[in-house]
Amino acid sequence: MAFQFATVFGFLVVSGVALLVFLVAGSFLRPRKPNPDKGTTYECAEVPFGPAWFNFNNRFYIIALLFVVFDVELALVVPAAVVYRRMIEGGAGWIAFTGIFTFLAILLVALVYAWARGDLTWIRAIERGECREVEVGRKEDAR
Amino acid sequence: MSAPEDEVEIERGPGVAVAVGPLDGLLNLCRKNSLWYLLFGTACCAIELMQTGGPRTDTDRFGFVFRPTPRQADVLILAGTITYKMASRIRRLYDQMPEPKYVIAMGSCANTGGLFQASYSVVNGGDLIVPVDIYLPGCPCRPEALTEGLMLIQQKCEQEPWLAKAWGRTPEPAEPWPGRPREC
Amino acid sequence: MKEIRDALAERLGTEIEWHEDLAGDPFAVVPPGKWLEACRAARDDERLSFDFLRNQTGTDVPADEVIEVVVHLFSYKHRHAFVMKTRVSRTDPVADSLVPVWPAANWYEREIYDLLGVRFTGHPDLRRLLLPEDWVGHPLRKDYARPESYQGIPTTRPGKEDR
Repeated sequence: MAFQFATVFGFLVVSGVALLVFLVAGSFLRPRKPNPDKGTTYECAEVPFGPAWFNFNNRFYIIALLFVVFDVELALVVPAAVVYRRMIEGGAGWIAFTGIFTFLAILLVALVYAWARGDLTWIRAIERGECREVEVGRKEDAR
Repeated sequence: MSAPEDEVEIERGPGVAVAVGPLDGLLNLCRKNSLWYLLFGTACCAIELMQTGGPRTDTDRFGFVFRPTPRQADVLILAGTITYKMASRIRRLYDQMPEPKYVIAMGSCANTGGLFQASYSVVNGGDLIVPVDIYLPGCPCRPEALTEGLMLIQQKCEQEPWLAKAWGRTPEPAEPWPGRPREC
Repeated sequence: MKEIRDALAERLGTEIEWHEDLAGDPFAVVPPGKWLEACRAARDDERLSFDFLRNQTGTDVPADEVIEVVVHLFSYKHRHAFVMKTRVSRTDPVADSLVPVWPAANWYEREIYDLLGVRFTGHPDLRRLLLPEDWVGHPLRKDYARPESYQGIPTTRPGKEDR
């Protein structure tokens, strides 16, 4: 069995060495001519203006979180559902039902809370009346 | 002059091919079969450029694919009329391409301004803005002619002393637009 | 055509010149002082109802020392079309902007400003449209001369005489 570990170790060493060889050989074989014009940010050939960072929309996070929670719930309920018929024959049907139902009910409360808060609406109406006007490509920004 | 490419021998076996030759020749062989051009065009020649990448005159069989960003492009094809307003943008795209880079002036407008030479807003030739390697006549330049132009770039790649170029020992092309506005 | 003529004459009086029986479209010439009022009447009057600004251009006429600003109008309601012009002086071309009447006039007037130099009072965003912002001169004027170079690019190909 130790031989399998040695195989994996050999694999790791070879891949690491190969990576180093490619990078080092590349740095000898490729041209390196940095100049400030080349280093400008690519913005479809326009002069870049404004910051490149922007606020991440946390709608993605909320929807992903709800998905993970209900995915785990699904993974836990499916085995119970599979053996449900056997439990009914064994006389423990009500216990199984109460267990599954309580579990689902707790998570349903969380879903209703998120829903009522409006976390599930993806497209939100602009409630404020005005939009701030942005002037694109002003001459002052170009210099 | 005997180019390094002439000395690369490729032996093809069943399912495998081995190329033996000087390092310059091998690197040029790899480079010339993978010239990625920038997906860029301004006017009618751009339509012909798109058709050159289409099924009838396929550039993909040579290994040429289009890239939307200059950071991954080897060849800039000036396809179409160049206006003064567009000139600074084209220059910026050329500057943002990494070496080794080549420029093809495709069509009359990119060669000399074409039939719009007397216009107030048209630059009389792409070589007033970026250093051009290949000039292709035509209005519009036919896809077959553009393919030949790309094959001429391939020949140029074959004959370049690659390592000397990569290590900065070959002369740079002359700057065609010394007065260009720079932001940095 | 007669209804348009009567309606406009009734609204704006006798200051309008009429040109008909020409090879092209018949048109009316309005003095620059009445330009905005005439266009508003053209849009709002029930018999005219020109709700569509098809085109707005300018022409340099050095023989008369004027620049003409031309609008081509169409009415979806009555399905009739009409042309109106105004003549501004060449040395100091100023006209009223039609953006409050037809918002489509925005870029048309920017183009006329760019290529002919007519300044439109009341235009929300009067700047060059087709040429770069730091271009000098207005090319569609008859007395326009090409500059030697723009930002260092020569305007004629080196080694070739300009025809």
